[in-house]
Amino acid sequence: MTGKTAKTIFWLGTLSSAIIFLWLTYDFHQQEPKFAKTDQINDQVVAGKKVWHKYNCNDCHTILGFGGYYAPDMTKAYYRLGENNIISIVMNPELVYKDSFRKMPHLGVTKEEAVNLVVFLKWVGTIENRHWPPQDEKFVKAFRLREANAQKLDKTDIIMGACGGCHSLETLGRKIAGDFNDIAKRISYDKDTLVKYIHDPQSVKPGTAMPPQNVSPETAAIISDFILSLKAGKEVQK
Amino acid sequence: MIRYESQKVARYYLGLALILFCLQVAMGLWLAINYAFTLPQGLVDVFSFATARAIHTNTLVAWMLLGFMGGSYFILPIECKRELFSVKIAYLQLLIFAGTAVTAVIGFLFGWTQGKPLLEIPVPLDFLIVVAALLFVANVAMTIILAKERSIIQWMLLAGVTFLAVLYLFGMPFFKDLNVDYYYWWWVIHLWVEGAWELFTAAIAAFIIIEVTGVERKVVEKWLYVETGLFLFTGLVGTGHHYYWIGSPDYWLWWGGIFSALEPLPVALMVLDTWMHIRERKNPIVNPLLWTYIMGLALFHFLGAGVFGFIHTLPPVNYYTHGSQITVSHGHLAFFGAYALLNLVVFYFAMPQLKGIEKFDDRLGVWGFWTMVTAMIFIGLIFGVAGVLQTYLERILDLGYRTAQMNMMFWFRAVLFFGAIFLSGVLMTVYHLFTLKKAAD
Ligand code: HEC
Ligand code: HEC
Ligand code: HEM
Ligand SMILES: [Fe+2]
Repeated sequence: MTGKTAKTIFWLGTLSSAIIFLWLTYDFHQQEPKFAKTDQINDQVVAGKKVWHKYNCNDCHTILGFGGYYAPDMTKAYYRLGENNIISIVMNPELVYKDSFRKMPHLGVTKEEAVNLVVFLKWVGTIENRHWPPQDEKFVKAFRLREANAQKLDKTDIIMGACGGCHSLETLGRKIAGDFNDIAKRISYDKDTLVKYIHDPQSVKPGTAMPPQNVSPETAAIISDFILSLKAGKEVQK
Repeated sequence: MIRYESQKVARYYLGLALILFCLQVAMGLWLAINYAFTLPQGLVDVFSFATARAIHTNTLVAWMLLGFMGGSYFILPIECKRELFSVKIAYLQLLIFAGTAVTAVIGFLFGWTQGKPLLEIPVPLDFLIVVAALLFVANVAMTIILAKERSIIQWMLLAGVTFLAVLYLFGMPFFKDLNVDYYYWWWVIHLWVEGAWELFTAAIAAFIIIEVTGVERKVVEKWLYVETGLFLFTGLVGTGHHYYWIGSPDYWLWWGGIFSALEPLPVALMVLDTWMHIRERKNPIVNPLLWTYIMGLALFHFLGAGVFGFIHTLPPVNYYTHGSQITVSHGHLAFFGAYALLNLVVFYFAMPQLKGIEKFDDRLGVWGFWTMVTAMIFIGLIFGVAGVLQTYLERILDLGYRTAQMNMMFWFRAVLFFGAIFLSGVLMTVYHLFTLKKAAD
């Protein structure tokens, strides 16, 4: 091979690839809004993204599969956990992961920041990325199913969607703060007290480790009925 | 024994690079401890994994860039047959760069961050880095322009550092759209390690091979053209292997898959040409350790980037391995094999000359080399095993992240063990380089 041939190989290789790459980049920008639903990026999504950066979440958690591998991927976290659970975890990781072998730091995320984060993660979840990560597809499917049949929502779905980040119900949810079957047996609250407890645990049981929950009064009422019915169910069985 | 007075600036660059190398690896060991044991919440709250990871990766990039810059300043006068354009600029640039790096690390400890993996340095500090980079590129360019003789290596070096500096800009803006954010994040990360840095590596390796083996320049430069041409041909469109699982058109699976699958080709050529040139050497082997490093660079570059990159680059494989410890395995083997070893080649080439030693006592350095290389192979393999396990548990058996991690614990502890051995190899090497002595004969 002569020096000239070598030089030609260099320029041909470099320029052809650069042209293809720049063209594909142009096309990416043309098509990307459709895949990433950019019309849904509002101020709250942007505010949530800034929170994501501010606390450097990405050096522990991957998102779209990029970043640190120390903690679960956040691409489809919204479907996996739901709004209230994300807020609880992000604001009180020291409680949620009290017994976990790996800790998430208490970062001092405020309520407003946590809400924006959820909106950001919800938008991220809608990016059409060819169904990655594979292990979260089941959560996405289940979420879509529930969304499509909102009126027929199972009570278990509601309660686990709101409280499953810390509590369990038989095989569902996380076993961090007790199973609702056991809790139902233990507590002596009436419905109103329980609703009050959900919104402001300290006012009912001072010193409790449970943080206030971010659920609407209607949802709190449904959840309370459900928990209290567990109690009745157990007594009848006996 | 240096041929030009201005080569001396390299000494401070290399010294600082070696210190940051130690800090980087020590921080890596701390990350492994985070994986292998449960740390108290109070500690995690003040010094988290995220902060430690930012320090680990930024000191990595910083010491490598310092090595590249110092290496360029050492090599340019020889290649251009004249003094550097300006020694003052070289010192000023070092001051800005080092000052920024130190400020950044301290800032991380207090939570001052841009919050993007690998590019955590906040924007105001980014501007200082850009200033330092501009000074560097200008200094290199002027030295080359004022040279009496032109060479391919000169302008390949200039192209590499200019490309490198330009790409850094794409990591600086705030993007509202995470999808676009990561599109351009890879312009920095991928186009650096599989583009600009490869150009630079190929040019430096070519220069050192000519110097050390005495092989005819024309032959080496021909290889250089072909290799860099192939690097850029495969590497530019090959960026697509990072766009499989973002919101992007389906054609990226094809473009990214095919072009990146060809990326090992130029790396394989580098093994071939290094081996041939060493075999056809015209010069006697004065310092065997330097030759060991040169051959080690070629082989480990191929192992880490070529083999371990290829393994997970095709979309059907990457769907399962993406975002797992498999990536970590490749990242470590590739960075060490290509860029840590390249820097060490430069250090072992330059340091003896800076100290006026022709043949140095290499006993400790040999220990350092083999300790690092052996430990890193284990580290890469163990992360690989952990990654396969993770993929299987999480994505085939569907066990959930936390259960999978608990079942990988043995491997995290094994990495910690080999990480400690690796650190000891680093300390031996760094100590050896700092205290280089004449060989007793
Ligand atoms: C120092 C590392 C670290 C940082 C920084 C961090 N996290 Fe975490 N996070 C963790 C770990 C570890 C877990 C999982 C603990 C476990 O499962 O035992 C976790 C769990 C979570 C979960 C629950 C995931 C699931 O599927 O169970 C969410 C949601 C979360 N983090 C959000 C965030 C957000 C948002 C931020 C930034 C504001 C953040 N994290 C910052 C380490 C971190
Ligand atoms: C961040 C974790 C967390 C979340 C989310 C959470 N809880 Fe709790 N919960 C706890 C902890 C911790 C306790 C145990 C408190 C104690 O022992 O004082 C608890 C206890 C309780 C109790 C028992 C109170 C008692 O007097 O013993 C009830 C009832 C309860 N939770 C209901 C709920 C409901 C309903 C939700 C969802 C709307 C919910 N929790 C969400 C952490 C959580
Ligand atoms: C010396 C050159 C190289 C270095 C230093 C290097 C380094 C890295 C690093 C650090 C990452 C992880 C980035 C992150 O997500 O944080 C990565 C990812 C990747 N690299 Fe390389 N690499 C090199 C060459 C190659 C080559 C030649 C190939 C292909 C043949 C390749 C294929 C990949 C792939 C497919 C990923 C993405 C993994 C994933 O997240 O799914 N790399 N590389
Ligand atoms: Fe890449």
